[in-house]
Amino acid sequence: MAPGASQVSIRDLTVAYSGRDGRLVALERISLEVEAGEFVCLVGPSGCGKSTLLRVVAGLAGHESGTVEIRANRPGRPATAMVFQEHALLPWRTVLDNVVFGPENRGVPRAEREAQARRMLDLVGLRAFARAYPHQLSGGMKQRVGIARALANDPEVLLMDEPLAALDAQTRVILQEELLRLWAELGVTVIYVTHSLEEALLLGDRVVVLTARPGRVKRVFPVPLGRPRGLEARALPEFGALVDTIWAELREEVLESAEAERRVPPS
Amino acid sequence: MIPLILPALVLGAWEIASATGLLRPVFFPRPSTIATLLVAQIADGTLLGQLGLTLARLAVAFVLAAVPGVVVGLAMGMSRRTREGLDPLFALIYPIPSVLFLPLVSFALRAEEVAVAVTAAFTSFFIVAYTTMTGVQQLDRTVLEAARHFGARGPRLFLTVLLPGTLPAIFTGLRLGLGYTLIVVVAVEMVGAQRGLGAQLWLSWQILRVEEMYVALVTVAALGAALTWGVERLRRRLIPWAQDIGEVGA
Repeated sequence: MAPGASQVSIRDLTVAYSGRDGRLVALERISLEVEAGEFVCLVGPSGCGKSTLLRVVAGLAGHESGTVEIRANRPGRPATAMVFQEHALLPWRTVLDNVVFGPENRGVPRAEREAQARRMLDLVGLRAFARAYPHQLSGGMKQRVGIARALANDPEVLLMDEPLAALDAQTRVILQEELLRLWAELGVTVIYVTHSLEEALLLGDRVVVLTARPGRVKRVFPVPLGRPRGLEARALPEFGALVDTIWAELREEVLESAEAERRVPPS
Repeated sequence: MIPLILPALVLGAWEIASATGLLRPVFFPRPSTIATLLVAQIADGTLLGQLGLTLARLAVAFVLAAVPGVVVGLAMGMSRRTREGLDPLFALIYPIPSVLFLPLVSFALRAEEVAVAVTAAFTSFFIVAYTTMTGVQQLDRTVLEAARHFGARGPRLFLTVLLPGTLPAIFTGLRLGLGYTLIVVVAVEMVGAQRGLGAQLWLSWQILRVEEMYVALVTVAALGAALTWGVERLRRRLIPWAQDIGEVGA
């Protein structure tokens, strides 16, 4: 992959915080290229900085050194839109008003932004709930609204921070399939943080394994499974073999992370 | 029906005890006598006059407490400097019972009615301000971050996120503040006014027209209940998204 041709270009990114115990390095010299339309999954032990990486790409957190470049294909379009783990919808806005929130802040005319929002609600199957408030929805429905809100902002890159982690197993499976369908339909670039290897293999074109803190790129695995990919992919022998291979890499990082947590009790 | 059983039993027992002389009718007249006087005072308009006056004082005092209270509370919630600047002063003034300001305020302001309203507003102002401030501080950080991420900045962030997010807390503050304002208005009327429900209560007690005292008492109680009910209705109308949360809390 030639540098510059990619949609997201992360080079030598280091993120550090200064706290009571001195300098804490969250991410160290991360380099990653993501192609336009690609679906990249980030996995790693908890506390390795997966979410931090996503937040830096989203512009929600700063970094110490290195660069993050997002190539804009269409000027005026927001570079990124995030789907938050705890959905983070505005409780006082109806579903429709939550979905129009991004375009509304950018000054898109009402008729246009509402038409766009309704298209997105159609895509996630929630048209009938446009006038409902978030507290009237189930967890899975709230997260669909979160996805619709991000897509309605028409981003270059969709960032997803463990969006399905808080859901029950059945709902998660259904949303994974829907997500694949949406991605195929819209052709958006996705960076997806998950702690589930199976989820990463089911969704991703590539799986990036991060090390225990400070987070570095340990290895990148291309996923050689065909598209369109459905849940039946999990039954393929390659799928199981790849889970084993990646888990072997990840395992020592998870152990080291657990070891580090024992050394430094959480304050 | 169940909520009415206990009051009915108490009133019935009181009626009998007063009629048989078990309770001294001088201090505990029969509830039926009080009710008759209540109806008479409503009919001849005297009660409505007193009620109107108290209500007007309450309204002015409440506006004097609520508007600055919400503004200062929002400012304290959003800016640490404002909070740290005002906290010591507030901590000093807040615990003083409002009624104690009456002599000072009366002297400073001269106009009696203004003095009553300002005095009654004191403590409610702090209640509204502190509750509003806490509301701002307890806003969900992830929701705020998401709102910024989706492009809400400055006045837009305030109007679309901070204000609606704080509204449930503001309403709690207003409800508490309104109740407190009523208490202080009646108390101030007792010590420093010739008319109004508080004045009627105190003056009728002084000349031992106990039935009239009870009429004033019942009216104040009914007024308090009606205000609480009204604010709750308004809250449900203005904050439709927080119904369930409110019911869990209630």
